[in-house]
Amino acid sequence: MPVLELRNLKKYFATQKAVDDISLSIEKGYIYGLLGPNGAGKTTLIRMITGIFYPDEGEILLDGKKFDPSNDAAQLGYMPEERGLYKKMKIGEQALYLAQLKGLSKSEAMSRIKEWFVKLEMQSWWNKKVEDLSKGMSQKLQFVITVLHEPKLIILDEPFSGLDPVNSNLIKEEIFKLAQKGSTVIFSTHRMEQVEEICDHIALVNKGKKILDGSVNQIKQEFKENLYSIGLEQASSPVNGEAPYELLGTRNHNSIVRIKEGNNPNDVLRYLIQKGVTINSFNEILPSLNDIFIQLVEGTPAARQFQHV
Amino acid sequence: MNKILLIIKREYLTRVRKKSFIITTLLFPILYLGLIFGTGYLAESTKTNLHVAVIDSSGYFTKDQLDKQNGLDNSSLLTLIENKSGEKEFKFDSSDFDAFLFIPPLNWQKGDNKINLEAKKSYGPASITAIETKLNRVWDAVKNDSLHIDSVKQNILLSSRLGLHFTNITDPKANAKIANAIGLACGFLIYFIILIYGSQVMMGVMEEKTNRIAEIIVSSVKPFQMMLGKIVGIALVALTQFLLWILFIFLIYNITKVSSSSSDMNSLVGSVQQVITGINLPLILFCFAFYFLGGFFFYSSIYGAIGSAVNEDMREAQSLSFPITMLIIISIFMMTAAINDPSGPIAFWGSIIPFSSPIVMMARIPFGVPGTVPWWQLILSMSLLVGGFIFTTWFAGKIYRTGILMYGKKPSWKELIKWAFRKS
Repeated sequence: MPVLELRNLKKYFATQKAVDDISLSIEKGYIYGLLGPNGAGKTTLIRMITGIFYPDEGEILLDGKKFDPSNDAAQLGYMPEERGLYKKMKIGEQALYLAQLKGLSKSEAMSRIKEWFVKLEMQSWWNKKVEDLSKGMSQKLQFVITVLHEPKLIILDEPFSGLDPVNSNLIKEEIFKLAQKGSTVIFSTHRMEQVEEICDHIALVNKGKKILDGSVNQIKQEFKENLYSIGLEQASSPVNGEAPYELLGTRNHNSIVRIKEGNNPNDVLRYLIQKGVTINSFNEILPSLNDIFIQLVEGTPAARQFQHV
Repeated sequence: MNKILLIIKREYLTRVRKKSFIITTLLFPILYLGLIFGTGYLAESTKTNLHVAVIDSSGYFTKDQLDKQNGLDNSSLLTLIENKSGEKEFKFDSSDFDAFLFIPPLNWQKGDNKINLEAKKSYGPASITAIETKLNRVWDAVKNDSLHIDSVKQNILLSSRLGLHFTNITDPKANAKIANAIGLACGFLIYFIILIYGSQVMMGVMEEKTNRIAEIIVSSVKPFQMMLGKIVGIALVALTQFLLWILFIFLIYNITKVSSSSSDMNSLVGSVQQVITGINLPLILFCFAFYFLGGFFFYSSIYGAIGSAVNEDMREAQSLSFPITMLIIISIFMMTAAINDPSGPIAFWGSIIPFSSPIVMMARIPFGVPGTVPWWQLILSMSLLVGGFIFTTWFAGKIYRTGILMYGKKPSWKELIKWAFRKS
């Protein structure tokens, strides 16, 4: 049974169909990437999942039951894209306060905060105020506050913005650990390289509609163009009319080829061996998510236009 | 419920620990102390002991008489100079006298008698009056002697005067003058508290909105709880500050009572204290607490709703809260009218309608319950205020629910009202 299921969610604003009939189902333990260009409706979708907005239509099911924001809050951890902390409040007190609001007892909250602060090397921050922190530091604090109550569903909006590579990796590791422990993580981003590193499933939304979803591998297979990279002993690969591929170019002394319709990689290898050339490497080139993203979103205007609803 | 307590605790503690709170709480009694000692000190230091030369051509002001008066009041020294030939010959410049008094031949049966006091520099009215009083005492004695009025008759003349004593028969302890002062003070205090702490509620809500904390909290706490927690927390801060001020004032009053009794401000507090220790104290205190809290809830929830509707821009908040601030200022005008005529129609309607009742009713109550303010009026006013703040809190809660998570254009009042009456 999926942890989170969205059924035909709709949210229309005065001048935008922000979310227009989106259905998703997310299994336990997934790290789920929510992708889309600026203004696609990602944040509106997330705000409905966190109970900030009521959907105009459709249902949200958490563990198969209808989602009720006021009671299910403890199972949810949400990290908004920007800020989300009291500037003038001391960091330790702030973490304690927000954890207690999520339903933890004071002593429980205290011991978990200490544990996390040690883990992320934040012990010396306790009596500092948020306004003393840099952007990356407050991002770290925000992450700790989001996951402190061990929510079943963690929703992160651009969690790595402003973090240096070291801290990025630190947080990434923690996200993996949380997923292994059984939490489900949804994160929204438009940074594709992070998605490829972290997510096992993605959904791509554009103009308020879901245009693609599935596991990262499956999607790549779906969008592959039969491209291969061949490394040979001699400078270039032999090409003539009877070759089962066409040569598209070379990159780093490797030939990039597209296998012709009706042939398979074995045909290529067989052909090359027959020709008597030595093959050093033979790799399939899968499209990057970036390529797929651009391919799918291409043609739509870069900025979303206002429309009549 | 537990979560509301958490929110109240946070709102209260973060505010009470702020430097600005501690400073304003301490500044007030320090100002008050300064007022007492400052005015006392100034009054002492501006009075100069004058040494005055007296040249008497009337023959009434003898050395004996002047010495007797000097003995009674040592703030000035009058010395008779035996020079009857006129002021011109007297070498005023080289003498060490501060002033010089030439008494012309006087006739006690005539009305006006002017005496010239000449000095090299100016002196304050307090010093001049002291000398005038001395001279008049001598002059009175002269008149009494001439009219054969002995000291017994004199006493009768002086002590027998007509005095007008006003009594409110339903509430004998209510004193109009003091009631005026207490009413004015209570009205203004509630006015300031609503304005200052109401805008604190607004700023607090704005902070939560622009910092996006609302987004994090709103999933674990209902927006209404968030708003209520903030309002109650800030009300407690206001109450704390207020009680501390009262405590400081009475402490200072009781400590300084002995040392400086001359200060006007101090004697005002003293007489207020006298009346307050009378029978009205529990009722006035109870009503003050009630109208303070009622008025605060009534207005601050609206301020909270405004804070939730606007973005970072302070000007947006100001333009939206202007009508509300106007209502409070109108209440103050109604209050001044009510104090002049505590039973009149403005006083009555102003103290019944919830938007002005916290200020106007509180100004009327010291005039006496049930004399000036009948019980039914008090009860009607209180229940309307309770109804009023339940309504505004509900109304504000609806706006807050929509506004706190809404970004973009500043909404108009029309849109805010639409938010409030929309089904969620």
